[in-house]
Amino acid sequence: MTPHPTVLILPVALPLLLGAISLLFQSMGPDRRVALQRTLAGLGLFANLAVAGFLLFWVLQSGPQAFQLGLWPAPFGITVYLDTLTALMLVMVGLLSLLIYPFALATIDPERAQLGFFPMMLFLLMGANGAFITGDLFNLYVFYEVLLMASFVLLTLGGTPSQINGGIRYVVLNLMGSMMLLLGAGITYGTLGTLNMAHIAVRMVEAPYTVQALIAGLLLVAFGAKAAAFPAFFWLPSSYHTPHPVVTALFSGVLTKVGVYSLFRVFPLFFPTLLATWQPLLLTVAGLTMVVGVLGAFAQPTIRRLLSFHIISQIGYMLMGLGVALSPSAYGVGFGLALAILFLIHNQLVKTALLLGGGAVELEMGTGKLSELGGLVHSRPLQATLFLVAAFALAGFPPTSGFIGKLGLLEVTFAAGQWPIAAVSVFVSLLTTMSMIRLWQSIFWGKPRLAPPPEVRAPGRTLWTTTPSAILVAISLAIGVAAQPMLALVQTAASQAIDRAGYVRTVNPALTEQERSLPLGIQSQPSERAGG
Amino acid sequence: MTEIYLRLVDRILTPILLLIAIFLFLRGHDLPGGGFIAGLVAAAAIELTILALGSTATRDRYGPWLAPLLGIGLTVAVTAALIGMAGGGFFLGRWIQFEVAGETLKLGTPQLFDLGVMLVVVGMAVTYLLRLSEAAEAATPSAERQEPRP
Repeated sequence: MTPHPTVLILPVALPLLLGAISLLFQSMGPDRRVALQRTLAGLGLFANLAVAGFLLFWVLQSGPQAFQLGLWPAPFGITVYLDTLTALMLVMVGLLSLLIYPFALATIDPERAQLGFFPMMLFLLMGANGAFITGDLFNLYVFYEVLLMASFVLLTLGGTPSQINGGIRYVVLNLMGSMMLLLGAGITYGTLGTLNMAHIAVRMVEAPYTVQALIAGLLLVAFGAKAAAFPAFFWLPSSYHTPHPVVTALFSGVLTKVGVYSLFRVFPLFFPTLLATWQPLLLTVAGLTMVVGVLGAFAQPTIRRLLSFHIISQIGYMLMGLGVALSPSAYGVGFGLALAILFLIHNQLVKTALLLGGGAVELEMGTGKLSELGGLVHSRPLQATLFLVAAFALAGFPPTSGFIGKLGLLEVTFAAGQWPIAAVSVFVSLLTTMSMIRLWQSIFWGKPRLAPPPEVRAPGRTLWTTTPSAILVAISLAIGVAAQPMLALVQTAASQAIDRAGYVRTVNPALTEQERSLPLGIQSQPSERAGG
Repeated sequence: MTEIYLRLVDRILTPILLLIAIFLFLRGHDLPGGGFIAGLVAAAAIELTILALGSTATRDRYGPWLAPLLGIGLTVAVTAALIGMAGGGFFLGRWIQFEVAGETLKLGTPQLFDLGVMLVVVGMAVTYLLRLSEAAEAATPSAERQEPRP
């Protein structure tokens, strides 16, 4: 079975088309418009997950695939590249947004829905999918901008003063990250004369160390800022607690994870040697991200503020995986990256489950302040159980996906001889456990301090808000219990992500052959390129 | 209402600017120009109307079209990309040629895409300008504002 390679563009084209159509009916009455947009968004999210699942199936059957937009050959046209890592991320983001959709249906207020919540969800999905699947550095930047626009609208939808405040910090700090990315792309084009990622992979290894280090540093800062890694994480805790809880849950599964994905994609492909020489730097950033995140979480007074600091802390584990991505281990080179991918997937599941659970509590009780909540285990035993399992999964207890991820990461870091970061990560896990138990206790344990407002006790709504987290927790447990198939899957993903020759061969085999006749831009015509 | 010279300028210049926008749009196929810049010029033309007639009258004239324009433009642009899909590639360029009064005219998906861009830009920019002048008019005390003549 070989489908036409044009289907590779569907993860971008489908949400874009449905989002555009749902903007067509702005002159209609608000109720009918919202009903239509809701239907289109549900249709789009469902179709997107179906496409993503099909792409994963296809890539597992017949290996990585590439497609050139407009059929222009590789360095000239815009490349779309799909391998197992891309397909896994497409499936994960598709799954999360589809699971968040019923929660949004049940809880989003009519005002936000009328302002265009559902089309924006589609545009956010389009930006994330585009950033995953593109094979062109400049287009990666463009899709980050799409993400930024859509997320900024979602963040400020409703227009309360705290939202505007958080939104401005979010957009300013993220624009700085985008500028770094644009600068990195510009310098890449100025020195290597190409923006196609396969072509960059061919030319980057021949570039002088200064050029490599400059571009790698800029991209590390840019993607690090997007992923909320250590020095540039301020935007996340100052904005994530302001919007509607469903928006926070959507962001935690999508936004920071796109930054982490880009690091996983770009570093093994462009800078395989720097991954080894910069290992101390990467591991330091990872350790600081973990520690700062978890310590920040202890000081937080509300559910969502606390959980957003844990997002940062968990990003540190993924960076730790990136740091040991290519370290040799008993399971072969690339096992570190495989576990980092597994941890990324685990974190998307568990974090979204926690934020959905916490968000449901916040919406039903009318407050997210830990000092005012308590004793909810009596009225909501199911929610309390789900939250507890998800909290232990986040801390890394067996038999959840978090245990597999953390155990594997520890094994690789020990094998690489990086015991300080291993010690830090164990210590941070301990602190995470303490913090999560404290959070669970103050929400669900003890005596009820606050009677829930009677108008939100409709049983139908609880079903819509609990089922998504139940499914997410179930998947996390399933990964933890049946780890072997999942490990095999992420190992395939990692081995394809570090296979630079395979990437270039899939995009365009001619790229390597041209190099003998086409010297590097930095050596040949500096004046001409400077003019352009 | 506002000064008579502004209304005169609007009466004369706005149609000319809109024609220039169409010219720029068509020129953009092979030469500098294109949908984005044409959209901005068209928005500038409508801004003249806002200055001459005030935001209320302008919103009465264009208002119902503004919000759907974004959707229409995006749909047109995506359609242009999807037409290429029929030929085997997303965004694959496809052209048709026909003779009009001895001249060969070329129409194709790049122009359709550009048209979508133009519509989005017009919709965005005019919405933005209208909101700005509405905010400015609301901030001006009504005594200073010149009320429309009956």
